[in-house]
Amino acid sequence: MRASEDQLRSWMIGGLDGDADAHAALLRALVPILRSFFGRRLRGASDDVEDLVQETLMAIHSRRATYRRDLPLVAWAYGVARYKLIDHFRRARQMVSIDGLEDILISEGFEEACAARIDIDRLLGGISAKQAKAIRDTKVEGLSIAEAAQSQGVSEADVKVSVHRGLKALAARLRGAS
Amino acid sequence: MQTEDLIRALAADVPPVSRFLVARRMTIGIVTGGIAALAGIALTIGFRPDLETAMRGFPFWMKFSYSLSLGLCAIMAARHLSRPESSRSEWLRLLIIPVGLLAAVSVAELALTPSQDWHALWLGESWKQCVPRVLLYSLPIFAGLLWAFRQFAPTQLRLTGTTAGLAAGACSATLYGFHCPEASATFVLSWYSLGIGLAGMVGALVGPRFMRW
Repeated sequence: MRASEDQLRSWMIGGLDGDADAHAALLRALVPILRSFFGRRLRGASDDVEDLVQETLMAIHSRRATYRRDLPLVAWAYGVARYKLIDHFRRARQMVSIDGLEDILISEGFEEACAARIDIDRLLGGISAKQAKAIRDTKVEGLSIAEAAQSQGVSEADVKVSVHRGLKALAARLRGAS
Repeated sequence: MQTEDLIRALAADVPPVSRFLVARRMTIGIVTGGIAALAGIALTIGFRPDLETAMRGFPFWMKFSYSLSLGLCAIMAARHLSRPESSRSEWLRLLIIPVGLLAAVSVAELALTPSQDWHALWLGESWKQCVPRVLLYSLPIFAGLLWAFRQFAPTQLRLTGTTAGLAAGACSATLYGFHCPEASATFVLSWYSLGIGLAGMVGALVGPRFMRW
């Protein structure tokens, strides 16, 4: 059964006052609400739904200061969810060309595609783990700098520096190899 | 990661959050930017030498209340747009009130002035400096607002950027009034508003890049 608006709001206010249990209860109660919100809008793509639920929970946690205690809580949470969904569509659109690229790789042969992956792995193996992770996240997986920074728990500047230095090191290695 | 693990991780760190955090961050951003802008004015173009006399007259307070009321409306609108469920702000409609009042003063002023002097009333001595300066001194205030918004959750980024730009422009124009010797409502209505509008455009262009979350 879904928690009522009043119940959700009192958990939220508890969390805002520093009550960790109330905060956890709020996030748990929001999970089914968010799942059905995203599920209805992304028919079938259940991985995306769970990713979006998690992203939204993180945003709800980090932006809870923007909730005003005298206003409806669910409307506020839907506002966060809607923004994350639009952000998701925007990113999906930007990655269409990569989808195309995958087809090209497959049509040119499975072996080459695998070889390319192995090449990436071998190349990234030659630089520091931190730089390799930053490059893999931002250049291979397609995360934004902010998302990569958040997932690794470091600053955005840190990620940018790692990517920059890593690419430089890779370029130097490739020049040396050729 | 499993959603339940995520919830546990998030719930491990639940510091209390002040209900005034949004207002406080915006105040810090605007005041810090405003001090920087004021210092910039003081160190480059300086305040008008007759400031004390001017502060006893109508034109100074007309300019001051025009730009300040625009600024307050835009700040309230920006505060509203900092929340994820806001898609527009009624406060932005209120901007029309100071513009309308000043337009009425301007019409009265033009009616009382012989038409061959209208040109001087409109362009004053400093119309060319006014617009770029209002825009220039809005930048530190705009930067302060962008800083404040880094922890907020705006969803209409273009509109929020524009609103923050207008707020910064109007605050900047208020501070520029301590330098600017112009006294005509027609001048202020034209050139102050243009400077504030350009600051809003800068906000529309730059805001979405910095306000994403």
